[in-house]
Amino acid sequence: MRDPHGHRRGLLWVVAVALIVQPAFADEPKPPDVDAVLAKLDDLYRSTSSIARVELVVVTPRSTRTMRVKAWTRGEDKALIVVESPSRDAGTATLRVGENLWMYLPRVAKTMRIPPSMMLGSWMGTDFTNDDLVKESSLRKDFVARIDKRSSSPAGWWLTLTAKPGVVGRWARIDLLVSDDMLPVEERHYDRKLRLARTLTFDTVKKLSGRTLPTRMVVTPAGETDKRTELTYGELALDVDVPESTFSLSRLERKR
Amino acid sequence: MTLVRASTLRIAWRSLWRNKRRTALALAAIGLSTALVLTYNGVLRAYGDWMVATITGPMLGDVQVHAPGWRKDRGLDRTLPTASATLATLRRDPEVAAASGRIYAPILVALGDEGFAAFVIGVDPDVEAHPMGLLASAPVHPSGRGVLVGKKLADVMGVRVGDQLALVGQGVDGSFANDLYIVTALIETPVDMVNRQAVVMELGEAQRLFMMSDEVHEIMIRARDSDHGAMLAQRLTAEPRFAGTEVLHWRALAPDLVNLVELVDVAWVFVLVLVFVAAAAGIANTMLISTFERTRELGMLLALGVRPLRIVGMVVVEALALGVVGVALGFALGGGIVAIFHRIGFDLAQLTGGGPSAISFAGMNWTLRLFPSLAMIDLVRTFVAVVVTALVASAWPAIRAARLQPVTALRA
Repeated sequence: MRDPHGHRRGLLWVVAVALIVQPAFADEPKPPDVDAVLAKLDDLYRSTSSIARVELVVVTPRSTRTMRVKAWTRGEDKALIVVESPSRDAGTATLRVGENLWMYLPRVAKTMRIPPSMMLGSWMGTDFTNDDLVKESSLRKDFVARIDKRSSSPAGWWLTLTAKPGVVGRWARIDLLVSDDMLPVEERHYDRKLRLARTLTFDTVKKLSGRTLPTRMVVTPAGETDKRTELTYGELALDVDVPESTFSLSRLERKR
Repeated sequence: MTLVRASTLRIAWRSLWRNKRRTALALAAIGLSTALVLTYNGVLRAYGDWMVATITGPMLGDVQVHAPGWRKDRGLDRTLPTASATLATLRRDPEVAAASGRIYAPILVALGDEGFAAFVIGVDPDVEAHPMGLLASAPVHPSGRGVLVGKKLADVMGVRVGDQLALVGQGVDGSFANDLYIVTALIETPVDMVNRQAVVMELGEAQRLFMMSDEVHEIMIRARDSDHGAMLAQRLTAEPRFAGTEVLHWRALAPDLVNLVELVDVAWVFVLVLVFVAAAAGIANTMLISTFERTRELGMLLALGVRPLRIVGMVVVEALALGVVGVALGFALGGGIVAIFHRIGFDLAQLTGGGPSAISFAGMNWTLRLFPSLAMIDLVRTFVAVVVTALVASAWPAIRAARLQPVTALRA
């Protein structure tokens, strides 16, 4: 869990960038510049390229399953995720190039493109959807944000993000809790009918590859009690050399 | 006191045939309308039966068992445990004609690189091959790695018999489920959803693919007597074996389709009105004219001391005889028509000018060829309707005849 006292240190910039000072906040820290927050969140886990090892724990009422994957990314629209364990599923890979998503199944030696109709389906049995992998989501581009209220524990701000008119996306609204050091703490995603669809929580802030970020993310679908997916970054190397050829179908089939 | 004396009957019968042409016309009117009603009833009955059979035959059965919540989200892990023991118990039940376990699981299916969203139905081929069942028209049964693919899905994917398909889904334990299967047949079933999206697999193979033990998502029960399906569902619900499950009659499973069937069930009322009108017109007119013609004769009878009540009896019996003879002719004609169509089938499509031979509605394909049949109740209803009409229609002429003043009547 996070150290609540550590957040105070990050407050200096808030004073510097806050443009609107409201009387209600007189005795409280100044609210952050929403654009800066969104920009930071958008690029928090992104870089020109990356290689990461991630552990996924999928909890259902019936079972808890742990899966380790290695992921390569390059630019904003290329990614390759290969399952390393359990050994039964090892080698199963997901390749994303642009809007397209392929799956490689070593057991049947087959590459399969995921149809657009399945984009909202579960990605490899997790609570993430295929859409989460493909979507060029940008909080800054797609949403209008305003500061909602101060959160005392953890210290930070609740932001309300409303989808810009004309933006076709899954979420009509996102409630975002961002800590005083500009790291995400919680996101609540609301669908087009403004029903809470899922909650993302972020914790275990660590320094990975020179970047301080929450290394654990938990996705909980709304209305489910014993269902969640935990995603933990083990290793993260940013701005490393990932050749273009990594993201090809032939490579997908060769790779084990 | 006997209500009708033999002599009354004789007189009534004789009077009926005094004007042969008029009586024949009245009989023809009653007989033809009765025959029409029976034919219509027969078609209607066939339509209703066929509707229920189309609804319950392939997928619903008479009764279904599910884990609570399955019908809402079709969650892969909402299964019924110890399925084979439950099925064995059901199959021993004297009121159960057949019971079948099923598995439903979403999958991606691919022939080449392109994945298609579909679902696997794991079935017990022997039960589903019932004449109205899901696999009634399937040339082969799914078995082992051999699967059947819905015709429309196959068309979209370009799949042919003999092709190898890759299936990817998720096991009930969250693991990957993927394997290769051979298409042994393409199927067209009455269920649109199956034609568009299903890969039909043997139950045991589906359990293996999706990492399931002895469990199913659905148990479909066909009752020995469909009319007692609701009672069967009720009885099973109370059994300890089905505690914590949802046992429902098809009417509870598909309330939308119930309305459709009930509409047919009340349609006979409208048809019966037809018989009333035809019989009433035929009988009332005939009796009225015939009593007018016989005013003098009736006056004579009254003058001779015949009680007015007996006159009423004569007229009523005459009307009843007309109705009964008419209905008998109608039964013979209508019964014959229904019997013929029962044998050759009644094609609604031809009636509508040779349109399609089946229509798709409410996710089901409905054939338009019906095999009319009659039940005793149809005959009884029609008979009672004609008799009641005869009584009502003869009331006015009868009362008029009874009220005649002998003196005036004789002078008429």
